[in-house]
Amino acid sequence: MLQLENLFYHYPKSKTVLDSVSLTFSEGNIYGLFGKNGEGKSTLMKIMAGLLFPKSGQCTTLGQHTAKRSASGLQNLFLVPEDFELPNLTIGTYEKVHSPFYPAFSKNQFYELIQEFKLHPREKITRLSFGQKKKVLIAFGIATHTKLLLLDEPTNGLDIPSKSQFRKIMASAVDQGRSIIISTHQVRDLHSLINHVVILDNCKVVFDHSLSKVSENLWFGRASDMAKEAILYTETSFGGKAVMRRSDRPETEVDLELLFNAVLNNPKGIQLALEQTYHGV
Amino acid sequence: MEFNIKRIGNAILKDVTILKNTGITALAVASGILFIGLFFMTRGDDYLSADEFMGIFGLCFVVLGMFFSFAVLRESHNAKSNHLYFALPISPLERLTSIWLTTTLIHTLIFTLMALLVGQLAIFAGGIIFGSGFHWVSLFSDGYVKLIKGYFIIQPIFLCGAMTFSKNGIGKTLLTLLLIFIGILFYGLLLFSVLNHGYGVYPGDLIADEAFGKASTDFSGVGSWFFTLLFGPVMLLATYFKLVEKEV
Repeated sequence: MLQLENLFYHYPKSKTVLDSVSLTFSEGNIYGLFGKNGEGKSTLMKIMAGLLFPKSGQCTTLGQHTAKRSASGLQNLFLVPEDFELPNLTIGTYEKVHSPFYPAFSKNQFYELIQEFKLHPREKITRLSFGQKKKVLIAFGIATHTKLLLLDEPTNGLDIPSKSQFRKIMASAVDQGRSIIISTHQVRDLHSLINHVVILDNCKVVFDHSLSKVSENLWFGRASDMAKEAILYTETSFGGKAVMRRSDRPETEVDLELLFNAVLNNPKGIQLALEQTYHGV
Repeated sequence: MEFNIKRIGNAILKDVTILKNTGITALAVASGILFIGLFFMTRGDDYLSADEFMGIFGLCFVVLGMFFSFAVLRESHNAKSNHLYFALPISPLERLTSIWLTTTLIHTLIFTLMALLVGQLAIFAGGIIFGSGFHWVSLFSDGYVKLIKGYFIIQPIFLCGAMTFSKNGIGKTLLTLLLIFIGILFYGLLLFSVLNHGYGVYPGDLIADEAFGKASTDFSGVGSWFFTLLFGPVMLLATYFKLVEKEV
């Protein structure tokens, strides 16, 4: 669905942000795009949305170059930016004037989500808090039913109950024809939501694997003294959790934060462990 | 190239809805200025002619049109709103068409209707206060057609300026216009002087005075064609490419 080939990008008079980035995003998945601050997550999201043009390489959505910003191409994607400003309209008017641009827009779903977020269509957007504005845009993005939904730091500005509400709503939003890409540096917020992890570090993609492959090959938990040789990464604190080769251990739930730290600290070890296929009993 | 009339209509509706409050405020201010100006014009000769109407109407119409052109493209420069602005499914050509139609046709229609109403009110109020005679407001004249034609020619400059300059756009556009005007004036003067120097075109001592007087004359007729037929579309084309190339 979304194809990135050898992308290279740098801002004017600035160092390289993305170098030889090649990725493929397919429908039916929720991708987590992780990276430290300033690693190019938002830049990559902007390139995917056609808001920035790569210096070399190409980015295509359903075969169309995103940099062309064609109407038919843009009808396939919706971006929820990290920081944004919405016009001084009521939620209902915002929907009325923006929804006609999206052929598959579902008004019913939009107003259901607005209700679920405890908002009212007659409320003025400018009077809402940033978190509430984000909820309006997330609800709108889901209701557009675009093939690609891009969310840049969607949980920033959301309170704790709203974060779990967000996870629940996003999980119900994915279908076989849609791909959702969520960029964040708060990996814990996406726990139990994503099924594929992409990690950016030093301008490059250092990790691009499905969670099923991760749980098949890696083990997360507290390491015993017996298994020290299998440790790929361990937290520095006493009795901290570790990432290990799974071998014949039982399958564990993937700890995204631990995986992220493990990839940044021992990328080769993690890569090697994932390349070995585990043949469990 | 994508060009969908329905999408253009949707974009016009979106822009007009978003700018509704700003537009109403600006129209209210313009109505006030128009009313005061026209009201005092009814005092002298008992009659508000189309030419009298045109002076103050033209000024308000062009100034408001300029502000409107900059307001409609404000979203494209705001770092917090331009993501959503450029990610909206509409092609650059459709976007430009909708902006141009909004800031020319719709602006002309709304402002003309408003001016007719305010003019009639001014005549009515003049009749009550100054005892001037009642008559229907007359706006449509050669002056009106010339004004609208002129506005349609210069308006793309405002659009191009609004797209080019992210900060202090109005000031920078007017300054650029002034520089272009002075540049053309000097270029014309230079060409005219070089080509006609041997024919005794400047007989007097005050050569600069005469030359400047003649520099603004369109001797060949090409200049007026250039400005009426080419300048507007060229500016629209420049705005189109600015829209296509804009990154956020």
